[in-house]
Amino acid sequence: MKEIKENIIQRIKANFADAAEKNDFKDNRVDFSVKKETIPSILFYLKDEMGFIHLSHISCVDWLEEGELEVVFIVWSPKDKIKVFVRTRLDRDNPVMDNVDMIWRQANTYEREMREMFGVQFTGLVAPEEFLLEDWQGPPPFRRDFDTAAYAEKTFWHRPGREDAQDVRETIANRDGEEIPDFAKKYSR
Amino acid sequence: MMNDKNSQKIVDIIQNWARKHSIWVLAYGTGCGAIEIPPTMTSRYDAERLGVRGAATPRQADVLLITGYLTVKTMKRVIRVYEQMQDPKYVIGFGSCTINGGMYYDSYNTIKVLDKYLPVDVYINGCMPRPEAVLSGFAQLQKRIAEGRANGAQQYKDNLEWYRANQKKIIPNWIMPEYNW
Ligand code: SF4
Repeated sequence: MKEIKENIIQRIKANFADAAEKNDFKDNRVDFSVKKETIPSILFYLKDEMGFIHLSHISCVDWLEEGELEVVFIVWSPKDKIKVFVRTRLDRDNPVMDNVDMIWRQANTYEREMREMFGVQFTGLVAPEEFLLEDWQGPPPFRRDFDTAAYAEKTFWHRPGREDAQDVRETIANRDGEEIPDFAKKYSR
Repeated sequence: MMNDKNSQKIVDIIQNWARKHSIWVLAYGTGCGAIEIPPTMTSRYDAERLGVRGAATPRQADVLLITGYLTVKTMKRVIRVYEQMQDPKYVIGFGSCTINGGMYYDSYNTIKVLDKYLPVDVYINGCMPRPEAVLSGFAQLQKRIAEGRANGAQQYKDNLEWYRANQKKIIPNWIMPEYNW
C-alpha cells in the first residue's frame, strides 16, 4: 500500500508543478492542493491515466478568517483502493472556477448545490439557476457568516412558547410538583 | 327541502357519519415522519379497520398528512396538492416540526408554523409520533368530523386572502394558478 501511495505522489508531482502534497497519515489517502487553473487537467489525468475513475464527492469549506473558499474533490481508485483529495482555494469575494462536469457527469449536481449553498460560480456550467432553494432571497446559506437563526427569525413565523428553551422534564415536574432526582439535574439546562 | 334548516342538519349528520368512516389519506410524505405511515397501515396497527387507507391522487383523497418539516420548495407542491383536493378535505399536522418547528426551529428553509399557511384540523405531536399516536390522531379527526367541527376547508375558502398573503411572503415568485372558488 505504501509503495502505491508513494508512486502516486511521485507521478502527480512530476506532472503538476504546483501540486503541493499534504502529509496524510493514512495509507490509503493522498492529499494535494493545487491552483484552481490546474483542476481540470489534474482531474483528467487522475481519471484517464491513473485509474481514479470514481468521483466520490466534491465539497466546499469556508475559510472565513483567511477570506477563502476551499473546494475539495475526492476521487477513488477501485483498483488501487486509494483515495485522492484534490483541494483548491478560491477568493471568497469572487469565487470562480472551471466547471468539471465533462469529466464526471455527476459533478453537475454537486456544482449546482455549491453554487447555491456557497455562491461558487463555475464557468460554463449549464444548469437551471434554482436547485434546492427555490425562491431564495438571502445570501448563500452555507457560508459561515450567514446567521441561520436570525434569518429564520426574520423570514418565518415562530410559535411562542419555546423561547425559554426549558427542559421538558423540568416543565412537567414543576406542573405536577415532582422532585427531580439529583443525578438528573446534572443534565438539565 | 334543501333550504329547510332542520332537514339540512339531518343530512349533515348522515354525511359526517359517512365521511368519518372513510378517511382516505393521500400518499404523499414530507420530512421524516412518513416512515411511520407503513407500520400504521400494515397488519400490526392496521389503520384500515378505521376506514383509513391510502389514496393515489389528490382528487381521490380526503386527508393531507403533512408528515414533518416543510421546506419552502415542498410548500409550493403542498399548496398545489391541497388546492386540487376536493371537498371534504382535512389536513393533519404530523410531528412537532409542523407545530413549532421542532428540531428545525432555526433552519433557514423550513416553515415553523403550519397553520399560518394551511388550515390544520388536527395536530399530532411527537418527534416522530408512534403509530399509536397517529391512530389516536385519526380517532380525534373522526370525532371532530362527527361533531361537524373539522371545517378547515371552509376556513381556507373564507380566509383565502390571508392564507395567500402568508404563502406569498415565503414564495415571492408566485407562478401557480390563482383559484377563485
Ligand atoms: S417532528 Fe421530528 S421526526 Fe418529524 S419531521 Fe420533524 S424532526 Fe423529523
